[in-house]
Amino acid sequence: MAAHVQDPHQLKDFYNPNVLINLGPSHPAMHGTLRVMCRVNGETIEDANCEIGYLHRAIEKLGEDKTYHQWMVYTDRLNYCSALNNNIAYAMAVENVMNITVTERCMYIRVMCMELSRIIDHIICVAINALDLGAMTVFWLLYHWREEAYTMIESMCGMRLTTTYARIGGMSYDIPDTLRQRLWKFCEELPKALDEVEGLLTSNRIWIDRTRGVGVVSREDALKYSITGPCLRASGVDHDLRRDRPYYIYPELDFDVVVGSNGDVYDRYLVRLEEMRQSVRILKQVNDKMPSGPLWVNDKRVQIPEKLDVYNKMEVLIHHFKIFMEGIDVPKGEAFTCVEGPNGELGFYVVSRGGPKAWRMRVKSPSFMLFQNFEASVKGGKIPDAVAHLGSVNIIAGELDR
Amino acid sequence: MTTSIAPKAEYLKAQSLLGKRLNEKYGTDRKVEFDKLNEPVIWAKSPEDAKMLFRSFMLDESSKMDFLSDITAYDNKDREDGEKRFVLVYQQYSTTLHVRVRIKCLIDENEQALTLTDLFNGANWLEREVFDMFGISFKGHPNMRRILMDERFSGHPLRKEYPIKQREPFKDNIAFHLGANPMEIDTSITEGEEK
Repeated sequence: MAAHVQDPHQLKDFYNPNVLINLGPSHPAMHGTLRVMCRVNGETIEDANCEIGYLHRAIEKLGEDKTYHQWMVYTDRLNYCSALNNNIAYAMAVENVMNITVTERCMYIRVMCMELSRIIDHIICVAINALDLGAMTVFWLLYHWREEAYTMIESMCGMRLTTTYARIGGMSYDIPDTLRQRLWKFCEELPKALDEVEGLLTSNRIWIDRTRGVGVVSREDALKYSITGPCLRASGVDHDLRRDRPYYIYPELDFDVVVGSNGDVYDRYLVRLEEMRQSVRILKQVNDKMPSGPLWVNDKRVQIPEKLDVYNKMEVLIHHFKIFMEGIDVPKGEAFTCVEGPNGELGFYVVSRGGPKAWRMRVKSPSFMLFQNFEASVKGGKIPDAVAHLGSVNIIAGELDR
Repeated sequence: MTTSIAPKAEYLKAQSLLGKRLNEKYGTDRKVEFDKLNEPVIWAKSPEDAKMLFRSFMLDESSKMDFLSDITAYDNKDREDGEKRFVLVYQQYSTTLHVRVRIKCLIDENEQALTLTDLFNGANWLEREVFDMFGISFKGHPNMRRILMDERFSGHPLRKEYPIKQREPFKDNIAFHLGANPMEIDTSITEGEEK
């Protein structure tokens, strides 16, 4: 029986075309501290405005205050779902300013780490997106492999989430011997889990109804809003920095760039799923080809000495002390180094005027561009569509606000 | 020169060609430099010139810079790069040739830059961030407000004179508004409720 309304004022919100609905900043579906104010007419979002800055920690200012070596830990806190990627991108940016090329073994380890963190990031995105829309099984299936990946990372550097694995000129530790076997098993088993996920979602009627045609970002919009990464590829732009501006050993590896066509939530999900398979392909090749040899570049400016020598030789002790207390002397110059991060083009613009601290440390984060576009592309949808859309673009607040 | 770039990358040829061409075409009265990755850096003469360069790189058939990568700035307090206070930096990228070009422009505290929001929607927040962090405002920007900091915040954090540990807490929030598109609230419906 329909409730009888005594007071016509009770219906005012029902007829009001200007109802404000606040999403976030602290709500489980908002993926960190994101806030969107929506003006809804009925159920349709007619206008939206994003407010950011809730997680602003002045990381760029700290980049000018800490030495290059000290600032490494802050890169973990950018995109905390793929900390390895940020560490390596930052180390790469500083090495480029210093004109250092790392050793071949180091390159392989770095590529392995970057692909592993890409898989973790995509797992988080796909699993949480499905969880937001009510499909919890996907979360359980995939998070098992995320845990396994984190355990592998733990065996490499002793940390799970905030890794601080890379160093300027090398890596803090060499990889353990057990990793090869473990990674092999991971590469064998993860695609099976992905097949299962695909069986659960790709042709699932509910999933298709909730995602297809939702949160569409057209090809032109994606380019106008400077979107990069999987979301750009889902919109049909064939662009991947790993292939187009190859760094490290990517030209020697065999992988495909995944391109979608519609730019909706469904396509973004498909692109991410296939990219995980491509990353597994890369991991397999890297695991097979992993060369032996030195891990650290033979450059006295950056090379952190062996601990055993530090305790036994005076010159080495002084060298160690100089690196950690004074910092690395980076010559005058600048470079804008971008890598293909899990969310898109992650760039570090380092301006050095000599000395151990950067003059300007700019972090160009992909999430910033994605959230800017979210404001525009969420219009015309409904509130549940906004949640699906937000989950599929994988905006990380740490990277957004820096 | 040794860097992280794969030595046989295809785009390197296009990059060196572009560097040469930019030097010939725009280098007569502008300074053209190359950074540590051998990417061209071109110094615009004024903020207006920077936008003109940006647009001509975008439309130029040979460069095809159809993608805005980044807008940022840095403090030039020690006057090492020129006689003005800030350096405004535009990063442009070509999705067909996969090359980058950087436009730099000296700008003073009381000067205004020109907005790129009419060319790229993505410039909107980037310019707001530059305004927030450095205090460089952009002429023609639809919504020139702070973005990361509170709107009542004083000072610009990425200027060199801003102390690293300065705090400015606020007890309350300011009312949230829809920014560039202030909505017209129809008060006739809600009038009865206000009392």
